[in-house]
Amino acid sequence: MACERTATLVADHFDEALSLLQREALERHALECPDCAHALAQAHQTHAHLLGWQQQAVPAWARPRLPAAQEKQPRLRWHWWQWAPLTLSCVLALAVVLNVQVSTDSQGVAIRFGAAPTLDTAQLEARLAAFEAQQQVALQTLTQTLMQQQATDNARLMEAVIDSVVEQFGDSTTRSLEQVVAYFESLREQDLQLLQASYQQLADSDYATIRSVEQLASLVQGGQP
Amino acid sequence: MSLAEQDEALIRAANEGSARAWDQLVRRHETQVYNFSLRLTGNPTDALDLMQEVFLGVYRNLHRFRGESQFSTWLFRIAHNKAIDMARRRPVSTSLESALEEAGDQIEARWQQLDEVPEQDPQVLLDERQRNALILSQMGALPLEQRLVVELKVFQSLTFEEIAELQDISANTAKTRFYTALRRLKALMEQDHGM
Repeated sequence: MACERTATLVADHFDEALSLLQREALERHALECPDCAHALAQAHQTHAHLLGWQQQAVPAWARPRLPAAQEKQPRLRWHWWQWAPLTLSCVLALAVVLNVQVSTDSQGVAIRFGAAPTLDTAQLEARLAAFEAQQQVALQTLTQTLMQQQATDNARLMEAVIDSVVEQFGDSTTRSLEQVVAYFESLREQDLQLLQASYQQLADSDYATIRSVEQLASLVQGGQP
Repeated sequence: MSLAEQDEALIRAANEGSARAWDQLVRRHETQVYNFSLRLTGNPTDALDLMQEVFLGVYRNLHRFRGESQFSTWLFRIAHNKAIDMARRRPVSTSLESALEEAGDQIEARWQQLDEVPEQDPQVLLDERQRNALILSQMGALPLEQRLVVELKVFQSLTFEEIAELQDISANTAKTRFYTALRRLKALMEQDHGM
């Protein structure tokens, strides 16, 4: 290759980007330069030989597929109730974290957040006084109830006694009353006699004890020098 | 609708998750990519591997395609880079004998595919086989950078400016490589057939 332009000329000859003027200049040079003309002819043969390539059919091959995760998935339908367990859990967790306290009293329901408020002495005393007053009222009520119950029971007892006495002594009211009084009187005398006998026995016992102590004391004194 | 517009429509659908659009896109371009790969690697096995890598690369970058150039240009830019990567990993060693042997396998496969076209002339197929085998063998004898320039210039019809930009070289270097490659190929042609 004697001509310095041959390589560029041959390449440019196959370049579609070449302008018309450039192509005309190139062809003029090729007509005048035997080296370039020869190289161009050979390049044409080679180029034609290469363009004789017949497209090969693609053999069976594993075409890359869209990853399953990238393919369109049917949209999931959400319902409000699907969130209910999660919402409830969150509310409960929040209640634990915030130390929520719910209490009921005569004024209704009270909800408190955080630790229970501390009471000072005056408040405590006031509460105790109120509690004591409540207790007093409850005690009085209970006492009255018991007294009423006792009175009722006494009346029933008296009725039962009268019924038994009437059954025993007949139904003459005056006579029966006298007999009832006499009956109670006799019971009282019996009780007194029993009481006297018990006192006497107790006194005898005490006397025996005193005598035993005296004997023991005399023995002790007699044994001493 | 032009081919480029059809490509863009398929790309949009594939980017939205349509497996069918992606499959159509691959099928539209696989023959071009396969033949590109075959000429650069010199054998069908490596060509299929390269094609696989090319389309995987296309898929991974499909969302970046902005339509500033034609899809085929963008596709062959990826194919060009993948071919260089593969050539660095696997040197091309295509002798005429092995090229003929592999081309024979290709023809056998082609025969099976052409059962539906029984009137295909066996002599035509034989000529096709020999011509392609020669071209594979001759291109395989070129250094990678010359082979790429020939591929891009002769088969992909790129300008030297485009080749220079793609290969990050000057246009004059691209032209020199092209001329050198043509001379080498001519010498091989004469050697093989006394042309």
